[in-house]
Amino acid sequence: MSIQEVRVVNLPDIPDTVGEALLYDICHTLGIKDITTVRTAKVYRFEGIDVNTARVIADRLLSESLYQKFSINKPILMDGEVVEVAYKPGVMNPEAASILKSAADLGVQGLQAADSSREYAFYGPGAVRENIEKVLQKLLVNDIVERVVNRKPKTLIMEGRPGVTVTIPVRKMDDSQLIELSRDKLFLNIDEMRVIQRYFMELGRDPTDCEVETLAQTWSEHCGHKTFRADLVVNGQRKVPLLKRLQEATRNSANPLVLSAFVDNSGVMAFYDGWAICGKVETHNSPSAIEPYGGAMTGSGGVFRDVMGTGRGARVIVSTDMFCFAPPTLDTGEVPPGCLHPKYLLRKVVAGVRDYGNRMGIPTNNGSVHFHEDFRAKPSVIVGAYGIMREDLCRKGSPDPGDLAVVIGGRTGRDGIHGATFSSGEMTDRTIDVNSSAVQIGNPIEEKRASDALLEASERGLVKAVTDCGAGGFGSALGEMGQETGVQVWLERAPLKYPGLSPWEIWLSESQERMVMAIDPANWEKVSEICRSYNVEAVVLGAFTGDKRLKVIYNGETVCDLDMDFLHDGLPQRVLEACWKPPEAGCAVPGPPGDWAEAFLKVMAHPDVCSKEPILRMYDHGVQGSSALPPLAGVDGDSPNDAVVIAPVYGKDFGMVVSHGLNPALNNINPYYGSLWAATEAVSNAVAVGAGPENLCLIDNFIWPYPDSESLGALDMAVDACADFVGATGMPFISGKDSLSSTYRNSGTLIKIPPVLCVSAFGRIEDIKKTVSADFKKCGSVIALVGKRDSTEMAGSVYCKMAGATGANLPRIDLKVLKEVFGDLHTAIAGGNVLSCHDISEGGLAAALAEMCFGGGMGCMVSIEDSDVPEEFLYNETAGNFLVELSEEKSVKELFGNVPCRIIGKTIPERMIKVFRGGKELFKIETEALREAWKRPMREVFGS
Amino acid sequence: MKPRVCILRTDGTNCDMETFQAFKMAGAQCSMVHVNQLRSGEDSLSNYQIIALPGGFSYGDDVHSGKILAVELTSFLKEGLQEFVDSGKPVIGICNGFQVLVRTGLLPERKMGDIRCTLMNNDSGRFECRWINLKVEESRCIFTRGMTGQTISIQVAHGEGKFYAGREQMELLENDSRVVFRYSTENGDPTMDYPYNPNGSLNAIAGICDSTGLVLGLMPHPERFVSVYQHPNWRRGAIDYPHGLLVFKNAVDYCRGM
Repeated sequence: MSIQEVRVVNLPDIPDTVGEALLYDICHTLGIKDITTVRTAKVYRFEGIDVNTARVIADRLLSESLYQKFSINKPILMDGEVVEVAYKPGVMNPEAASILKSAADLGVQGLQAADSSREYAFYGPGAVRENIEKVLQKLLVNDIVERVVNRKPKTLIMEGRPGVTVTIPVRKMDDSQLIELSRDKLFLNIDEMRVIQRYFMELGRDPTDCEVETLAQTWSEHCGHKTFRADLVVNGQRKVPLLKRLQEATRNSANPLVLSAFVDNSGVMAFYDGWAICGKVETHNSPSAIEPYGGAMTGSGGVFRDVMGTGRGARVIVSTDMFCFAPPTLDTGEVPPGCLHPKYLLRKVVAGVRDYGNRMGIPTNNGSVHFHEDFRAKPSVIVGAYGIMREDLCRKGSPDPGDLAVVIGGRTGRDGIHGATFSSGEMTDRTIDVNSSAVQIGNPIEEKRASDALLEASERGLVKAVTDCGAGGFGSALGEMGQETGVQVWLERAPLKYPGLSPWEIWLSESQERMVMAIDPANWEKVSEICRSYNVEAVVLGAFTGDKRLKVIYNGETVCDLDMDFLHDGLPQRVLEACWKPPEAGCAVPGPPGDWAEAFLKVMAHPDVCSKEPILRMYDHGVQGSSALPPLAGVDGDSPNDAVVIAPVYGKDFGMVVSHGLNPALNNINPYYGSLWAATEAVSNAVAVGAGPENLCLIDNFIWPYPDSESLGALDMAVDACADFVGATGMPFISGKDSLSSTYRNSGTLIKIPPVLCVSAFGRIEDIKKTVSADFKKCGSVIALVGKRDSTEMAGSVYCKMAGATGANLPRIDLKVLKEVFGDLHTAIAGGNVLSCHDISEGGLAAALAEMCFGGGMGCMVSIEDSDVPEEFLYNETAGNFLVELSEEKSVKELFGNVPCRIIGKTIPERMIKVFRGGKELFKIETEALREAWKRPMREVFGS
Repeated sequence: MKPRVCILRTDGTNCDMETFQAFKMAGAQCSMVHVNQLRSGEDSLSNYQIIALPGGFSYGDDVHSGKILAVELTSFLKEGLQEFVDSGKPVIGICNGFQVLVRTGLLPERKMGDIRCTLMNNDSGRFECRWINLKVEESRCIFTRGMTGQTISIQVAHGEGKFYAGREQMELLENDSRVVFRYSTENGDPTMDYPYNPNGSLNAIAGICDSTGLVLGLMPHPERFVSVYQHPNWRRGAIDYPHGLLVFKNAVDYCRGM
């Protein structure tokens, strides 16, 4: 039977919001002004049913006659230039499964396959081929996952014959052949390739493709953290491996709250009343660089699964996102070949995070966006997730021999093959072509179902161990879970999205939304029943043995048989040379601005400072009903808070705080002090809302250029900074991730990102009622500046960046004083003495003041002392400094007598910021003007 | 006896826990019920006095928001649901639940399969999450007893919330006092202005009920404001009670009086 096509459009008098949004972009992003209208139609295709049945489905499911009409097997968009955009075959369209389900619910029989796509019709004098090509290329079609449909497909059913397992003759390869085998695929170096060769020589056989791929992904930088485990020689001196340094610092902190650090899929700390909370922050830079929507989606989905797969199963309660891009205003000509424009990337990445988090029902409520032109080849896309579980279920479980290896959730397709190895390699202009299979479109509903089922199984004590299928797929999940026992896998049992996968592809596919559990055979029926009740597919894929071997069988044929010890410990430890050279310091501080008010406006409009409200509005930050301090508040609901506080256990007053800090620009100047700044900023954000410093744990994310000796030198300094921070404050890192491949290389062009250390802080708060927001509360309050800073340390600040000043005098945070400041500020807030508090970061004291004014619907007067340089006073960005609103002057000494503190001004009813120096007014400016400048940049990017 | 509430969920429901909590605080006894349990006969709607359809993205909101679940309910639970509402038991649909109610026909005419109004893409074309003001209209609705005339603060979080119906149906809803909530300014004046009216709903309609006042559907999330500390500005001292809780209490009180 042929394919039936149903097309659905809105009636003419009903707005077509999809068309309107595209038209806005055509006009504003592409600058094409004479396309006047865009109309869209949804296209549905069905295989296996007749035209009458298609009509029933169209009438009862696809089209709503109140405002839509449909056509069957004929066009519906008339006159204009019509193009259809669909997912490529093999990219699973999540909507197809829903259509099949619903058709079955309607009693439709015989339907074999369904698909959906969208048609666009362009009208107006500009609706010509050339312009439409541009629209397709720049806005509508990402070649990685999408295509233009030119003719009706013959079939929707994907067919394929399973590939065979190939033996790779590594034993007789010379070095150049080994390198050729590794290139673009395995991403291993020659030493590592030789170790593999030697192993199989000793075994007296050649490996299968499955074995080579398994080794490559387990030994990838992504999974093996080779750089972080390597012995380092820094400027000729041997130093402890980076990972060990961090872990030792955590151990030495002996923080009693730590329940699980660096051993599980996320770090776990104690909460209250028998609960534990956990956190994990991941990066998804490589996929997001080539397919930002799918890349960001799978980033979110992956980090949620990390939390779900912690202990014996956790519930995800917070999602965070931190991004670094090139400025959205970047000239198109500056975008390197093989890369996408930052504005497109930003919007698509936000859409990916939005669609995954919102649909899973996880509040995305903490995040930031940072800009630097050296992110133009490869952005940094950082996504975090936090969870809660019973304390008795919070430690990583382990299987016993005889336990079943059960996989639940989504099916396996050819998605993300080589994701682990791909993200460990440098990006080149070949990246998009060679690695397009590394991206897929996530299905958050699949993951939500799996989460519902997992939590019930966990609650009922049926889960012995659980982990997610992330990078490396089954291979990585089972290889790790069975490390101590050994595991045997029957690969043909894996449910597939479509036929035709080779065994090694099934084994290493990174299809999302899959979890692996170890289940006692006696409990399998119960687990199976739970999964069925949530519409979750579950199969027994294998069993844990006792022979410490990783054995994979496909239809009776052994396709992989490796020693667990060789797999996990066979990787040779690297010895790496590191050497960091300070950058040449350019001109120092730019001096005072010509026009004070104008400078203030410019700082507020700088992309690092400006309001990110349009992004936040698209995230459901209120779902789960747990919010106790939202990301935005204040009289107009647009004033940002430093951290988010949630109360995840209903009816209880205790809460959880989440915050973060990063500053790539500072790391470019000095990675040690830049990293101290990041950690200080993360913690300052949490303390500013009322968190106690003794109740916080940290997560590190290093996103670095490819570690040549110079970048490695910078990394070494950043890790030292982290260890020193832990030593001085007692706050431990309990989870972390490194992604060391953010270098772009293409015939003569070399672009390294500014090194990013993102520090996330999370912790517990005894009483959410004792927390504060950043909006000014009352007129006539005293504003105090609390914290130590040398305001001449201006390098890396927004003020300097705007003037092109590139000095080396960056903020050097004094950790000893910092600890005192954190302690005293916490005591003041917990004692109910602080009306509002805001931490100083990008944009300095001036930006912080402005945001507090916006939230309070009022203004302030500020006095700068004669000894201060006004532009330094206003725009210095030393972290660990706070603006604190207090009712009365005398409390300042009582609360902050032991730490650096001064009264800088007071709040006033007029919506003005007035700045005085030496008793004379230096300048004044209306807060409305500042707010307008602060809101405009992201409004322009997101068209809101 | 505490009234029993069926929190009806399925794949992609994600406001079930907070809806459960809201009814619990209001004095009800709640059960999480997956639609599969009703389809298989393992549980029955007749075991409950109230049905709540929570927010979320049922089946990913594929095709139209709430549509796949609406088709499922219409195909398999038509009689059970019709009996439930015909016997005078309250039903509330919040956000995605509202979308499901209009796509089953339970709103506005309390008749399964009779679809008279819809919720379509926000005029902004975007999903949006923000706190807005709602004017509580004088209506038949039992969920808003004692709230009439108030302006309440509440969060919306949706991409498909623009209420739309034909002219006759709109007139019927207006004349029959079935408009329960309208998007409004701080002063309680209904408005079409964005972002006060976050989606462009006709007549600023945020929630409606059926002719008995027992079936309520609304886009905003009252279950997210059942404790003072959930409001973004409780620290500013302007909030003396959680505005959403009364909606749930009214339903519970109504059942107690039955």
